[in-house]
Amino acid sequence: MTYAVVRAPRLDLEEFAAAAGLHPELVSRLVALGIIDAARDSAGRLWFSRSQLGDVARVQRLRAGFALNYAATGLVIDLLDRIAVLEAAMRRRARLGGH
Amino acid sequence: MADQDFYRILGVPSTASQEEIQRAYRRLARENHPDVNRDPAAEDRFKDISEAYSVLSDPQTRRRYDAFGPDFRQVPEDADPETWRRARAGAGAGARSRAGAGARAGAGQGGRTSFGFGGGDDIDLDDLLGGLFGGRGGWGPVPGADQSAEIELALEDAYHGGRRTVTIGSGKTQRTLEVTIPPGVTDGQRIRLAGQGGRGSDGAQAGDLYLVARIAPHRIFRLDGRDIHVELRLAPWEAALGTSVAVPTPDGEAKVTVPAGTSSGRRLRLRGRGMPRPRGTPGDLYAEARIMVPSKLSDPERELFEQLAATSDFDPRRRR
Repeated sequence: MTYAVVRAPRLDLEEFAAAAGLHPELVSRLVALGIIDAARDSAGRLWFSRSQLGDVARVQRLRAGFALNYAATGLVIDLLDRIAVLEAAMRRRARLGGH
Repeated sequence: MADQDFYRILGVPSTASQEEIQRAYRRLARENHPDVNRDPAAEDRFKDISEAYSVLSDPQTRRRYDAFGPDFRQVPEDADPETWRRARAGAGAGARSRAGAGARAGAGQGGRTSFGFGGGDDIDLDDLLGGLFGGRGGWGPVPGADQSAEIELALEDAYHGGRRTVTIGSGKTQRTLEVTIPPGVTDGQRIRLAGQGGRGSDGAQAGDLYLVARIAPHRIFRLDGRDIHVELRLAPWEAALGTSVAVPTPDGEAKVTVPAGTSSGRRLRLRGRGMPRPRGTPGDLYAEARIMVPSKLSDPERELFEQLAATSDFDPRRRR
């Protein structure tokens, strides 16, 4: 019996930090600040999904573009996400209601 | 060639104070940051604004920019503005064509590269440019942001799908993309073009571009989700006696049977003749009856209507 080799669906801290081009300590700090989510297993290790690399890139761009500290970046991201949800709802309403 | 007038980019007069420059920069940066403004053209504006600010925010580089213009980085530190102007007038336009490359290289040289955790109030120029012109000092390559742009489609194009040429962005990064529109796109639906969004720094991967479909109002069809509504005009006798008529659909004409006794407002459904749905049930087409009368009656017509009026006891205003 042979099995196909598949890419692990989740990344550990080192793998994730390497893929994001960041120091692992900085990634842990972003997790501690609640800016990126990570799953923690029973051994206390952090696990990430590949799709979160985009979230980290956004943190980097916002921090660099506005000279924000990390706590402020977290707030900006929360607000941008809320606006995106509201805009999507508005688009849906316009689509259903607007003739 | 990009606008090289840094004052114009920031929208301030050349006599602006440092404070005005900073205020203008902060406002424009907030408006055009690629994570705040998803318009593909905003990314270029943001880069121009950042470059303008990097020059004008430092009184020393600003002085040199004022004296030597956008090519100031190629001018030796100790050059005299008057001598330089005369020399440049002789050299012609050659120096100018190299200015773009020179300016970019200059932005990456020297200065601070501090990336602390704190983040002070003052803008660190390297902080700013680091994220844009190749991350240094702590950051690796940073992938680009997702962008979104609208495309307007005629209802028929949305119905049939097909290829479409779309022009995105402005200025130096304007590009033309060949996009495949899937059949049955509805208003507000997003088409994802992977890797066509904001550019990443240092060769990092680009973001995605989302094209939001806007379906233009149509002369005869009205869309409601995937259902299509069309007006079905009928003569009074057609509506009373019943008939079979052709109605337009985006896919050509379709026959619809009008039952006897149809009043205005009655909707006749043509199942599955609305917008197609990829791998799913298509919408329906509704033909809505609308009874029309001749604006001028001929004598025989008038006679017949008068006869009908005398014979009939139908009262359209009677409530059941």
